[in-house]
Amino acid sequence: MNAVRLTGVTKTYGAHTAVDDVDLEVPAGSVHGFIGPNGSGKTTTIRMILHIIHPDRGEIEVLGERGTRAANDRIGYLPEERGLYKKMTVRRLLTYYGSLKGMTARDARSAGDVWLERMGLSDWATKKVEALSKGMAQKVQFISTVLSAPELVILDEPFSGLDPVNLEVLREAILELKKAGITVIFSTHDMAMAEQLCDSVFMIFRGRKVLDGTLETVRAEYGSDTIRVRLEGGRRHVEGIAGVDRILDLGQTQELRYDGDPQELLKTLTGRTRVQHFEIAHPSLHDIFIRIAGPEAREAVA
Amino acid sequence: MKVLTIAVTEYLNAVRSKAFILGVVMMPVMMGGGLIAKLIAEESEDVRDRTVAIVDHTERLYENIASAAEERNADVFEVEDDGSSEQVAARFVVEAYVPAEGEQRSPEIVLSDRVRSDELFGFVVIGEDAFETKRSHDDGVSYFSDNPTYDDLPDWIERIVQDAVEKERFAKADLDPDLIDDLTRRVRFKEAGLFEVSEEGEEVGGEEDDDVKNFVVPSVAMFLLFMLLMMSAPQALNVVLEEKMQKISEVLVSAVTPFELMMGKIVGTVFVSMTLSVLYLGAVVISTHYFGIENLIPLGVYLWFLFFQVLALLIYTSIFAAIGAACSEMRDAQSLMTPAMMLVLIPMFFWMVVLESPNSPMSVAVSLFPPATPMLMLMRVAIPPGPPLWQLGLAIVLTCAFTAACVWAGGKVFRIGLLATGQAPTMRRMIGWIVSK
Repeated sequence: MNAVRLTGVTKTYGAHTAVDDVDLEVPAGSVHGFIGPNGSGKTTTIRMILHIIHPDRGEIEVLGERGTRAANDRIGYLPEERGLYKKMTVRRLLTYYGSLKGMTARDARSAGDVWLERMGLSDWATKKVEALSKGMAQKVQFISTVLSAPELVILDEPFSGLDPVNLEVLREAILELKKAGITVIFSTHDMAMAEQLCDSVFMIFRGRKVLDGTLETVRAEYGSDTIRVRLEGGRRHVEGIAGVDRILDLGQTQELRYDGDPQELLKTLTGRTRVQHFEIAHPSLHDIFIRIAGPEAREAVA
Repeated sequence: MKVLTIAVTEYLNAVRSKAFILGVVMMPVMMGGGLIAKLIAEESEDVRDRTVAIVDHTERLYENIASAAEERNADVFEVEDDGSSEQVAARFVVEAYVPAEGEQRSPEIVLSDRVRSDELFGFVVIGEDAFETKRSHDDGVSYFSDNPTYDDLPDWIERIVQDAVEKERFAKADLDPDLIDDLTRRVRFKEAGLFEVSEEGEEVGGEEDDDVKNFVVPSVAMFLLFMLLMMSAPQALNVVLEEKMQKISEVLVSAVTPFELMMGKIVGTVFVSMTLSVLYLGAVVISTHYFGIENLIPLGVYLWFLFFQVLALLIYTSIFAAIGAACSEMRDAQSLMTPAMMLVLIPMFFWMVVLESPNSPMSVAVSLFPPATPMLMLMRVAIPPGPPLWQLGLAIVLTCAFTAACVWAGGKVFRIGLLATGQAPTMRRMIGWIVSK
């Protein structure tokens, strides 16, 4: 059972093709990450899933409803930024958003209070939104998204601008949703977070789907030519070795793409310095992202 | 249902704001402002003496003016209830011009200098032949001053001189001035409405025209509608634009369709405006009953007012909401607002024309032009006996059709504009949105 299924979906704006013939399946109950650089078509895809805009071609099925907004009351959506009335009180705002999702005002109000309690914001229920700190506003925004107990939650860049504490709160909240069997789709630039949270990822680049699958399959697809090392003396010791065609410096560790026998490389490195860590690894999502959308890839496309 | 949820929220947001409460109070103040300013001005009437020198070449008129001034000056005080008296008008002090000894300059030059040095307010030169019945080059009266806009004094002098001269001429011709008064008495003339036969078979009607009913009620009704429109419709632009800038619209359109969202705004705006009109019209009903003048405003005028108010709000709220949705910045919205404001303002350019001849081809045409119909047709309805029924019917049909078109077109611009970002669309582009599928 899929929560979302896109088949051959295309959307163009004038001469620009924002989304080009995309197929996608998001299984119910999974956490699905949308990744891709800015302007690659993520938001357009999300808007089409919500039927805010309509595809020029292709078919979209959401929670069993094909091509209509009928399922929208069962979807919670958190747009990329802000999205709150500054002049309303927190409780009134949540009640309003809840009623727009088809809840009665009373249900929306009590559900709102439960969530505020859970997020530690009970004292702020009667305060105006403009009085909230950024982190609190983001929590309120999250509550407004999940208030109506949706079956599908779509979060557009939910982690941007969060401090580590609030980031952790949100991460746990997403895992709770997953535990409750709710399908979660979120878009992010934070590859580490995507790796931690997602069952599967979907990457879109220049309107085309370039990655789709579970983390394991995606990483396996990008081979095992990645070697992660930690060396005394750092990066300079891996420079200039034959077969190393790319170094991703992560500070303490370096990720190398190496064409050849890893044993040979280890030998060379031990000859140069003390090796603290040596791992034959799948590429990180970050690395895969860069491989697909980094400057080299852009040049190749150009 | 969701439309109603949005409308109620919009309504509560609006009526709970300080701006609304201030607006409720401010509007009567603004409309009554002219009246209050006039009252204040009357209270502080400039009552300084107006001294005027008279060069009387007839050597007989000065006496008349001096005694008339004395009589008038005794009357500029008003006795209050508590017995104290207050000066309510300026005194006119007259003096005969007598040249100083050895004065070489002409009286005009001497007196002009005195006016300039504030010794005099003005001066009057009466021609030698003022009493003559034949025209001559020296039969006129001239008034000179540095205050060309103050005409109480010259008007008064003109009247006194005219009376005195007429009286003398009649006497000279051996005519009795009282007889002349009787013979030249003006015929009484009355302007009135038409007669009809009542159900009891009596002839009724022919009531004298009432300026309040014919001019004041229609004008006030139109301006009140205009003000109510201006207080609510442009608000929709601000609300929509703010939601778009805060990315709230995106959350909203994931829950409701853009059209539902826009209709919610429109209905909310209609609620707000209706609240205002209930307040104001209620005040009018109560006060006219209190003063026993309720027959000045027929019930029909109230009903038409509310009807046209709803149409006007539907038209303009959908236009303003669409503009708000199309823009991403207040600045862009301002420039797109100008054409919409021109439409709102049409009645302001034509209301005098309509008031003076409500059934002229011009008035008929402009009051049938849908954007202007609500205000101008309301005015024509309020002017007895009102427009012909077919015009009223046509106006309703045209305006309803136009309203539907505005809501439909507004809805399309709203839907496309709401998610568009960046530069504001041009008028042409917006029309493109309207005709696009």
